[in-house]
Parts: sequence; structure tokens; C-alpha cells
Amino acid sequence: MNEQSVYSPLETTDRVTFEVVKNSLYKAAEEMKIVLAKTAYSPILKVAGDYSCGIFDQSGSMVAQGPDLPIHLGSMPDAVRAVIEKFKHDATEGDVFIHNDPYFGGSHLPDVNVVTPAFYLGAILGWTCVRAHWPDIGSATPGSYGAVTDIYGEGLRMPPIRLYHAGKVDQNVEDLILANVRTPDERLGDLRAQVAANHRACRRLATLAGKYGVDSLTRIMQEVMDYSERLMRLMLSELPDGEGVFSDFCDGDGIIEDGESEDATFTIRMRVRKHGDSLEVDFNGTDPAVSGPFNAPLSVTASGVYCSLKMIVDPNSLIPANSGAWRPIRVSAPPGTVVNAQFPSPVVYANHEISHRVADMTFGAMADFMPENVMACSQGTSGIITLGGLDPRNGQRYVSYETIKGGLGARPNKDGINVVASGISNTMNTPIEILELSFPVRVDYYEITPDSGGRGKYRGGCGARRAWTILDHDSRAAVCLEHTQSPPFGIRGGEAGAPAKISLKLQDGTIRPLLTKGGFNAPKGSQILLEVPGAGGYGDPGERDSAAHESDLLEGYVTVRDEGLTG
Amino acid sequence: MAWRLGVDIGGTFTDVALVNDADGTIGIAKTSTTPRNFGQGVITGLQQAIASYNVPVDDVSLLSHATTIVTNAVLEQKGARTALISTRGFRDLLELRRSARSDLYDLFQDAPISLVPRHRRLEVTERIDAAGAIVTPLAESEIADLVATLKKLEVEAVAVTLLFSFLNDSHERRLGEALRAALPGIPVFLSCEVLPEVREFERTSTTVVCAYVGPILESYLTQLETAVTDLGLPNLHIMGSTGGVFDVKEALRIPVNSIESGPAAGVIAAQLIGSQINEPDLISFDMGGTTAKASLIRDGEIEITAEYEVGGSGSQNRWVTGTGHPIRVPVIDLAEVSAGGGSIAWVDPAGSLRVGPGSAGAEPGPVCYGQGGTEPTVTDANLVLGYLDANSLLDGDLPIDYNRAVQALEEKIGNPMNMDAQTAAAAIREIVNNGMAEALRIVSIERGHDPREFCLVAFGGAGPLHAAALAEELEIPRVIVPPIPGGFSALGLVGTDVRRDYARTLYQPLSDLAAQDISAVWSELITEGKKMLKESGIPASRWQFHRSADLRYTRQAYELNVTADEGEFTTTTKDQLADKFHARHEQTYGHQNLNEPVHLVTLRLTAVGKLDRLEITHHPDTVGNSEKSRRSAWFADVGAVECAVHDRNRLDATSQLTGPAIVESLDSTLVIPPGWSASNDHRGFITMERHHNE
Repeated sequence: MNEQSVYSPLETTDRVTFEVVKNSLYKAAEEMKIVLAKTAYSPILKVAGDYSCGIFDQSGSMVAQGPDLPIHLGSMPDAVRAVIEKFKHDATEGDVFIHNDPYFGGSHLPDVNVVTPAFYLGAILGWTCVRAHWPDIGSATPGSYGAVTDIYGEGLRMPPIRLYHAGKVDQNVEDLILANVRTPDERLGDLRAQVAANHRACRRLATLAGKYGVDSLTRIMQEVMDYSERLMRLMLSELPDGEGVFSDFCDGDGIIEDGESEDATFTIRMRVRKHGDSLEVDFNGTDPAVSGPFNAPLSVTASGVYCSLKMIVDPNSLIPANSGAWRPIRVSAPPGTVVNAQFPSPVVYANHEISHRVADMTFGAMADFMPENVMACSQGTSGIITLGGLDPRNGQRYVSYETIKGGLGARPNKDGINVVASGISNTMNTPIEILELSFPVRVDYYEITPDSGGRGKYRGGCGARRAWTILDHDSRAAVCLEHTQSPPFGIRGGEAGAPAKISLKLQDGTIRPLLTKGGFNAPKGSQILLEVPGAGGYGDPGERDSAAHESDLLEGYVTVRDEGLTG
Repeated sequence: MAWRLGVDIGGTFTDVALVNDADGTIGIAKTSTTPRNFGQGVITGLQQAIASYNVPVDDVSLLSHATTIVTNAVLEQKGARTALISTRGFRDLLELRRSARSDLYDLFQDAPISLVPRHRRLEVTERIDAAGAIVTPLAESEIADLVATLKKLEVEAVAVTLLFSFLNDSHERRLGEALRAALPGIPVFLSCEVLPEVREFERTSTTVVCAYVGPILESYLTQLETAVTDLGLPNLHIMGSTGGVFDVKEALRIPVNSIESGPAAGVIAAQLIGSQINEPDLISFDMGGTTAKASLIRDGEIEITAEYEVGGSGSQNRWVTGTGHPIRVPVIDLAEVSAGGGSIAWVDPAGSLRVGPGSAGAEPGPVCYGQGGTEPTVTDANLVLGYLDANSLLDGDLPIDYNRAVQALEEKIGNPMNMDAQTAAAAIREIVNNGMAEALRIVSIERGHDPREFCLVAFGGAGPLHAAALAEELEIPRVIVPPIPGGFSALGLVGTDVRRDYARTLYQPLSDLAAQDISAVWSELITEGKKMLKESGIPASRWQFHRSADLRYTRQAYELNVTADEGEFTTTTKDQLADKFHARHEQTYGHQNLNEPVHLVTLRLTAVGKLDRLEITHHPDTVGNSEKSRRSAWFADVGAVECAVHDRNRLDATSQLTGPAIVESLDSTLVIPPGWSASNDHRGFITMERHHNE
């Protein structure tokens, strides 16, 4: 992209048509989301919303993303480009492609991309893609969250392949997929929902092409990305220049290597340089790839950076999220590190755990030169518990996948938020009544953890604690949890939030500690006890407003009185 | 000669609609809304209406009211001091919500507000499981302490939500009984009475909102009822969110049932028009100063949804934002966009023109009102394009400053974008129309309905200004503009029936349930409905009961509502219900799965007490040459053209107008673009149609 074209105003399309078509493209992406939520079968999609929808141009750049997950900001275009690369010469109307390979632009195997080309009178307009998290994609562990040491162990790996040809499903392909995942009829429902969502957006693109013409529509798609880039540059240039470094360590990859007695930690290092209307992030000095599934493809790492940058640069959401917005940002990392995974490293945890961590660290790295635009570390982990086995109530196989939310970090002018999705994540919890109706478990408590928000002039959001009792059967469970060793950091003098904790209480009352990653057996009557982290505080705790502290004491968010507050 | 009166409180005006039962004559009285004490404006409006139309109070057969008290109390956080009692371990459910944040990228977003602060969220030891069985019995011994705590906290209302009470309500009922006995005068709302449906957060939120607004609603409605009784008027009725009315006692039983009463009234009014002109398929479009709302009427029936939030950042129904307080009671399915006459146009930092979501509201209002507004609005754009009278509006009551509007458009839009004021105005209009077309899309195309098969009913102060352009966009062939568009909603209040909706969650595969078991639940609900109708004084000959079921594929999360046919419910009709569901799924989402089991989530019953059907007419005061002036107006494709300006009051039953033309009345202006024609009829309805030979 040369500088000239970057700055050129919208010359070719009149501005009203541009605004109207831009809005229509974003509404189409939003409509995809509705179709998916209302027709999908698995709770993680239909009630938790773990998916993203996008509309892409002919070359696979993202033109519009629905109001979805920031985690997918950076990596969906690569997934669509992988399909285009392979099928550009023979994609026809009614084709649907599928793939989940992190080494072809995917994120991790459970995130299944369904990609459909959009046509109007034989001309290709662009592509639509729904990336949805399937609760199971095979492997030895229900939920596919086992601590394995290469990608072959992580489940069914699909390079870009054709699933529908000219509107007709390829039964061989579909059968092969469904034979390799647990609860295949549920997966089929999810898959149909993904196909239907794409179909809806393709129809809407065709309507737009009919109204404005194919050339005009495809040109406006480019202009929408240019527009985002222009806004991003403008808003970046209004922020102070500077450079900052930050490092933080992760709890472990779930693999205890020969000679180790516990899961070894490893470190991520980043440097952010902001100059004028562009920004560079590099991860030089980050630890090499680990043997467990804690290695992120670079596009996943970049998603974490993009997410925080969007919060820093554009808190009022003026910039449409698309590929154009990220052109002024350069993210680099040495290949073969945990933030730039190379085949065949396993990746499943890293998808959210690395992007969460990188998102929080981006704030940390910029705290010194733009303190008014950053927040303290949030819960920084997806807090995943999966359960699987045979439901004794009906003899059916089940897989449950839940992510438990903790605190949101304190801000420059206000406290964090208790127990809410933060950073790259924005999935919803599964209602307890829906969970217990669907799976043989009982939730014993689900509540705010007092004193878990980091102290500071502004307090970090509190975390949550929750327990599940396994009913009348033995369950095969898995966990993916971070910040048990490295609590979510405070900023500008604020204290860290409370770390995460996980253990298993057996029926006889004994409590067994659990590793933070990987599968474990949860026998009949046992209880999984989880505390997800609180968030970091912002500013000197001594400067806290005493009325705010009194209110925290009254409501029980804090149980220990601080004396001598100056605020 | 009997009259029906309806009172609707809007942001600026309180409208009273009158209908004469005998000949259908309608009238309207407008008075300023009194935000500090809404009841005052209501009484003033009623007095004005009665006086100006010489209505003998003894001849009023129905008085109904749409109230915004519930919504306002939540928005302004002025509800009662409320306590919540939950199952032990779950008192934070109200704050934990569904754990999604409302804005993905707003670093400075606030935490969603909890209507009950944590120190007033109490717990009781008990647990019921997913089969409805008691795991831990209710700890009777804790009740005395709970009562003592509630007294110490000086609470004004209590909400009780225990897990799985929709399957087994014994604990909630026992606790409710004990609390009501120990706390006389303090309303206690039980989730099993308010919303016996699955999903604990949504059920808790709904019950809490009831408790939070209950005392305020009670004081408002009882005072108002006394005042109207003093005027000699009959008992007050309140419009519910599904478009029926009920009496005050019923309104207080479940306060959230009247949450969307104002918008519901507009849709009911549109339905009334449809039944009169034999047009069963309508899209209602209501555009005022700050929002535009669309709703769909199919086969004469309104569409109902159960996904609704109060006090959120937006209620466009495509995606509930999660910022408000979810209320899972049925409401009329409306799509709402922040687009109205007051919507502000602005140029963003990248040089693109945007309209809204900011609004100049009633104060300071559009620039042309000359009341301090400086930001150009949609109304200013309509003025500069020639659609609105350049001298005054509201029959001369509102002077207009045309030059100031031109100046604002030039300064704020024209100069930065290098266009003149008129081009800027046309651009603003196109963008706002596109946004509103989205609301029409949501209720039609997105729900599987083809807008070309519908007729658009346009009302609200600004609706008729934009109706033809929207119809053009969605290829809707016909537009109906009712008389008195600005006060049209209030007519819905009197053109409806007594109605209440009941629900019971069963949550079982349809195939596991015997037809007689389903039938038995409906019978219980019918018994409740009969009791309500009897207490409302509706004779049994006017009772109707409509049964329906919320169904979905077993593994889905969202249900579709399917109506059961009249008559005995048998195994055969049960199968027909499943067939209807498959067909509805295909229509809505484009696919169905005949092999997948169908799950019955909730059985619903609507109890209706039919009131006499209304046939409304509006007789203008004067008849004669309707053309009162000519002025230049700007239209896409043709540019500025001279067009006739007609006085709506002087149109007669045979008036035919050809676009471009403008029709003015007291509270609204109708634009007939080139390519459209319009005809007035004997009832005062204007029908606009596109020419066939375009």
C-alpha cells in the first residue's frame, strides 16, 4: 500500500453511497451472527457465543467483522486466504469450504472455519467466513484440551477442503469429519448453522451487488478498509510517541519434562514502539516453543496486540474492525518461539492464553508513555473446564465446555469491573440451569471472590469462584488456566489481583491439587473447585478514595479495612 | 353514545385519543408532558379532551393508559430499596449476569448497574435439582434471621429467585408465604409467579425489576386511579407490552408486563387500521424525535418476542446488548433504531458523514427551532430540502428559522465535505433512511417475510416524511398514512382487547409428553385466565383463549413460538404442532431437520376479553380546494422541483394527488415523491402507491 493511496480521500465513490454500503456490510456480518446463535446446537455457540463472523474481499482481506470476539481480529483473514490460495480457480457458486489448521491460517483445531464464496450473476464478490469453536474436535480427551506434545495429538486436522460442491454436501467429507468428533449429531447441527449464516450473508452481498453493481460494491469494500486505515493513522498520530518494554511469565504448558518436578514457567518479552501514525511490536527475547500446546501462530499473537490497541486508540469504536485498521501496525516475533509457533508444535491452549497475555502486556508496555490510555492486567486466562463421559441419566455421550470469567483491570479513572469477559474474550457464561439440564453435574456455588481485586487508587475487578460436583458417573475432565503463579499485574503502583486456584475434592474429603493444564479424572461425587483471578489495580493504593473503600467494605468486595487512605 | 379514551405519555407531549364507539369519530388532545409528575399531564390532557369534545364522563366506556413509569424508574435508578433472596452460593447471580461486556473496545465502560447492591442480596439454604427433586430442603430455621435482616435493611420490596423454581416452586412459595406474613405492606415477588421459565439470571433480573419498580408503579397508578375516579371516569386500564389492556390490580401483580406499553400501542393502532381496510399483512413504522420503531403484523396478528432489556444502551432487537436488565416477558417484537427528527449529523475524523446516534432531543432540539440547537439534525435536513414549511410548524405555533438551519448544515457538514447545504441535507436523509430501513429489514426479511407482500403503515410525527423513501428501498408497494399521525399511537390504547399472557416451562422432548399432559397445563392456565377476565368484569361470551408453545430442536438455545389449533389437543394435533415448528424453522432460518427431536420449552396461553371492534374515521373540519401553496422541494434523481402543498384537512374522500406533492396537517407532514400517487378516503386514511408504469 503506498502512502498516496492511503491518504487519498474517497474519490471514486460518492460519500453517501459509501456510508450506506459500509453500514450494510456491517449489518450483514451482524445478521450472520444471529443466524448462527439461533440455530446452533452446542451451548458454547448458542448461549456462550464463542464464534466470529466476517465478510472478506476477493483476496481474503477482512472488510467487516460482526460484533464478535476480538481474539479473531487478526487471524481470520489468513484462514480465508488459505482457502482462496487453494481453490481460487475452481470455486463455484454453492461451494462451501472448511478448515481448522493453525498452520493454514487457523487458530487452534477446535476453531472450525467455514468459508463460502459470494457470487452475483457469476461474478465473485468476496467471501464469508464463520469461525466457530466446536466443543470437541477429537483427540484422546473429550473437549480436545489434553496436554499433548504435537499437533497430531490435538484432534482432527483439516487443511482447506471442499465440503459442499455447487450447493450439495460431499457426504464423504462430512462423514469423515463426523466420525472423528464426539457427539457428532450436535456437531452436524453446528456445522449446518455455520453454513446457513454464510449463506445469509452471501445473499445479502448479492442484493447489494444487484443494487450498486459488482464493480462498485467490490470497490467500496476496498474503500471501507482504506477508511479504517485512515482513521487508525489519524488517531494513532494524536497519541504521544514513545517506546516501552514489558515481560511476564506463564504458569506452564501442562507437560512435566524429564528431570522436572513441576511444570516449568516460561517468559514472553515484548517491545512496543509508537511513532507518528504507526506502531511496531516485537517479541525478541521471548522463550522458545514449549513441548505442550502453548505455542501461538503469529496471527493469534497479533490478535492480542490488535485488541488492546483498539481499546487504547479507539475507545469509542469509530474505526470499523477490518484488515485495513491493522495496516499501520507491525507485529514481529522470532519463528519458533511461543508467540510464533512452527509446525508441528501443539497450539490449543495458546490460542486464548497467549493472546490474552499479549493483550494485557500491550497495556503494560505502553503504561509509561500513555498512562491515561491503558488499564491494569485483567484475569488474563480463559479459565476453561471441560467435562466428558456418559450421562447416567440417558446413556448418551456428552462434552461440556465452559469458560469462567474473572476481573477486568482497573482503569486510569475508575475501578475495574467484577467478573466480566475481558480483553480478547467476550463469550457469555452458560446458565447454571441450562448446564445442569444438559450435563450430569451440579454447580454448588458461583460467586464473587472477596479481596481478589488488586488494591490501587482504583481497584481491580474481583474474580469469581465456582464448584462443580460430578453426579453419578466418572467424568474425564480437562482444565486450562493461567495466572496461578503470576498474578494479574497492577499498573502505575497498583497491586496485582489474586491468582487463580484449582483443586479436586474427592468424596472422602481429601483435596488434591491439579496441574493448570490438561486432563484429569473427576470421579463420581468429586468436586472441582476453581477460583479465577481478580484483576490488577491502577495507581497507589494509599490514594484510594476513602468513600469508595467504605463502599467496598459494605458490599463485601473487600473485607480488610485499609487505614490512612489519602484519597 | 359511548366513548373510549386513551392516554399516551411521550417525551414532549401527552396525547389523549378519543373514539366515539357509535360512529368511530376520533379526536385528539395534546398537552405538555409533565416529567416531574406524569399524572398531572395525564389529568390535564383528559380534562382538555373531555371539554373540547363535550364528552359526558358517564359515557366513557374504556379509559386506558400507556405508562413509561416502569422504564423511567429503571433508567433513572429511582426504584424501591429492594432485597434479593437466592439459593445459598448464588446471591451474586444478579451481578455476575452472563459475564459478557457490553462494548468490546471501550476502555472506560462502566460496570452494568445492579438494581440490588450486594449487601441487600441474601441467601437461604436450599437446593432443587435439574429434575425438580429436592436435594437440600429449605432451611426453615433461617427464615427468622432473614426477616430480621430485611427489617434492619429497611427494604421496600423483596425479590425471591431460587434455582429450578420453574420445575418445583415449593421452596419459593413457602419462603414467600413466610415473608409476606412477617413483612406486611412490603411487596414480595416470587420468580415462580413472575416468570416460571428456565435461565436463572434472566429470571432473577425480571423478578428484581418487578420488585424494584413495583412500589413506584403502585403509588403512581393508585393516585392516578383516584384522580380519574374523581373526574367521574371509569376504572383505569393499563396497556401491556403485548398490546392488550388490564386493570390496575393486574398491572401491579407483575409490573414488568407494562414495560413497552407505549410502543405496543402504536403497533395495535396499525393493526386496527389493517383490520379496517382488510389488509392483514402490515409493517408498522413509527418515527418520532429520537427513535424509529418497526414491527410486523402478519395475517392480522402481531409478533411477540421474549428477548428484551430495559435500561440498556440500545434495544435494536437484532442483538440485545447486555448492558440493560433483561426482562423475559413477552413484548411486541419491535426493531428500534436511534434515528429520529432530532438525530444529529456529523462528520467523523476520516471525513465520512454520520447520522446519530446522538440526538438533539426535545431540548435544545433541531437548529431550525431556534431554541439553542447548533448541531444540524434530520429535521433541519428535511426543512432545507423543502419538505417542511420554511416559516412555521404546528399550525403556526412553532416558528422556524430556515436560515439558521442552512447555516448549520453548511458549517458543520457542507464545508468539511465540500458540498452545499442542500446536497448535505440530501446526504443526511439518505443515510438516516438507510438506518431506518435496517429496522424494517430486521422485522421482515430477517424473520423470513418478503416486504413486497406487506403494506407500510407510517405514523409518528416524522414517519410520513420518510415513509415513501423507505418503501422504495424495501420495494414495499403501498403506504398507509392514518389521520393524526403524531397522536396515532394513543388510538391503539382504545382499539384493543383485555389481554394477559401466561407461561409455564415444561422443558421436555415433545415426544416424551402425552397430549393430555400438555392439555392439562393449558387448562390450568386457562383457569387462571378465566379468573382474571372475570375479575375484570368481562362477560364470558367475550372470552377467548389462544394456546401456543415455544419449541426448538433439542440442542438449540432459542425457541420459535408455534400456535396450537383450536379444539381438543390430541396426539394428532401434537404431531401437527411439531410439523408447524419444522416449517417455521425453515421459513425463518432457511433449513429444517426432520430427524432432530423437537423440544417443548414453554407452554403459553393468551387470555383475551374481546371488546367491541372499532371503525375509526376522521372528518375534517373544512372541505374545499386542498392546495394551499406551492414550494420547491428536492428529490433524488430529479433534483429541485416545484410541488403543490396540500392542507390535509381540506382533502375529501375522492382526493387524488400525484407526486411530487406535500400534504400538511397539524402534527405531521407527508411527502409524496415523484413516481408516487396518493388518495384520500372517506375515513381520512391516505394511501400512497408507486406508479405502475415507472
